[in-house]
Amino acid sequence: MKIRRNKEIDPYDNGAFTTIPGPATRFFRKSIIWQIWRFTVLNIKIMRIVIGGHS
Amino acid sequence: MAQVVVLGAGISGHTAALTLKRKLGKKHNVVVVSPNKNYQWVPSNIWVGIGRMKSKKVIFDLAPVYKKQKIEYHQAKAVSLYPEGDAQNSKPFLKAKYTSKEKAGQEVTIEYDYLVNATGPRLRFDTTPGLGPEAGLVQSVCTYPHAEEAWENLKKVFEKLKNGEKQTIVIGTGHPKATCQGAAFEYALNIAHEINKRKLNKLADIVWITNEYEVGDFGMGGAYVKRNGYITSTKVFTESILAEYGIRWIKRAGVQKVDEKAVYFETLDGEKHELNYDYAMLIPSFSGINLPTFDKNGADVTAKVFAPNGFMKVDADYTAKPYEEWSGADWPSIYQNPEYKNLYAPGIAFAPPHGISKPMKSKNGTEIFPTPPRTGMPSGVMGKIVAENIADRIKKNTENHKHKASMARMGAACVVSAGYGFRSGLAATMTVFPIVQDIEKYPDWGRDIRYTVGEAGLAGHWVKLVLHYMFLYKAKAKFLWHLIPE
Ligand SMILES: Cc1cc2nc3c(=O)[nH]c(=O)nc-3n(C[C@H](O)[C@H](O)[C@H](O)COP(=O)(O)OP(=O)(O)OC[C@H]3O[C@@H](n4cnc5c(N)ncnc54)[C@H](O)[C@@H]3O)c2cc1C
Repeated sequence: MKIRRNKEIDPYDNGAFTTIPGPATRFFRKSIIWQIWRFTVLNIKIMRIVIGGHS
Repeated sequence: MAQVVVLGAGISGHTAALTLKRKLGKKHNVVVVSPNKNYQWVPSNIWVGIGRMKSKKVIFDLAPVYKKQKIEYHQAKAVSLYPEGDAQNSKPFLKAKYTSKEKAGQEVTIEYDYLVNATGPRLRFDTTPGLGPEAGLVQSVCTYPHAEEAWENLKKVFEKLKNGEKQTIVIGTGHPKATCQGAAFEYALNIAHEINKRKLNKLADIVWITNEYEVGDFGMGGAYVKRNGYITSTKVFTESILAEYGIRWIKRAGVQKVDEKAVYFETLDGEKHELNYDYAMLIPSFSGINLPTFDKNGADVTAKVFAPNGFMKVDADYTAKPYEEWSGADWPSIYQNPEYKNLYAPGIAFAPPHGISKPMKSKNGTEIFPTPPRTGMPSGVMGKIVAENIADRIKKNTENHKHKASMARMGAACVVSAGYGFRSGLAATMTVFPIVQDIEKYPDWGRDIRYTVGEAGLAGHWVKLVLHYMFLYKAKAKFLWHLIPE
């Protein structure tokens, strides 16, 4: 993904003051092994908040 | 034999109807009244609006499912309610008008012992001049026909970009008090993804316009998430994603009007602005259906049953109080109408006691802030517990409501896809627990930080795909459907 923090962009544009993911974060976002792990974690969290939220 | 009537076959009503039939069996009658012949899995409309999914993949015919489940189905729209019956009939009933081709316009009277009003939102395009697909200016993705049309028009934008024409694309909230930011945000990310993929981003100015005080508020006052050793606000997370996708944003904006040329809005500082656009998708304000309601003498008692915004009054604390005094205890947990105890309103149909985000007013007196969202997962859970409580009342003859699901005790997951494809897709997953902050229980962050997540990755896309197929499977009431949680 191209980051719009280049010469064409106003350096005081609202996007200029944010955090932007670095190469490692972007790599892990698409890494199959890491994402299978995250998929498991997310599903467990979602299940717990669904089931734990009502009686 | 008891008769339970469910109005609406959306996420909440359909869940309620299937659960009721499963719990009540053959001895009692479950009736569904809903104007649309199809069930639609609304969250996937985003993929329809981006041309990634045909609408037939997000819908299915309700009649065969109800026939198999032995649920009586009327393709009709409820038009009035008589919770005490009338001079001729002492049993509560409602009147509905058929919308099916065969019987269009004919009226039917349906008696009930219990009524579940799960009619969701009324899309109030009329409250913002120029909004709505009917006016032909601004797109919507709130229903699948709207999403189809949004995609047809988006294709034209892609063509223009390919031909070297600059295009301004405005996505966000179309009313100063609109909600459902998550859906619009997801649509903005998907458009940006498609444009970036086609390498047309240099010519596209994509603008996220929102009534939130800060982006990432999502109508629930934002949330805090644990990331890389910091506790950060969803503002940081959301801004980062917008910037990464090349989307600029305008916050604290209450859209007041749209014409062929521009979107007109006021910001919280009281300034009036206009933003020229080539393509826009703006979420309208929502109200309830506000069913005219009459007592047995024919007197209009609508105001007893429905709040002024058309949503049904339930077991919430509606006492007007300032933001500082809002509490989780104000939120309903059984969705029962206090006036008529056999009326229930799960999902978007219930009247919230107040917002979740802090109310804000511009110096001109315009209220600009999101009203509270009621997303799919909680809507399904509410439908289920309402059905369980009604089944208990009928079968065990108890007035005790054992099953409870307050938004102040329940979590929500919002999976915002930002690209499609098993290996190339991406989604921002946000989970919060509980939806309504509970400062007494979680004094630091308002929520349980262990279950409040904000992260982007392929996993979120898989979650979204799994939810799509899993919930459609469940909604079709296929083998062991009831084991799939809401
Ligand atoms: C584009 C989009 C994307 C979304 N994405 C997500 C997401 O990713 N995750 C999430 O959790 N939530 C999401 N949501 C929110 C979610 O779709 C809603 O919370 C959910 O649909 C609410 O369920 P409901 O049953 O209350 O209302 P609805 O699903 O709107 O159902 C209302 C039903 O009532 C019927 N009805 C209306 N008037 C009458 C009448 N007079 N008589 C009888 N029946 C009537 C309607 O035809 C419909 O069948 C999204 C919403 C949109 C618009």
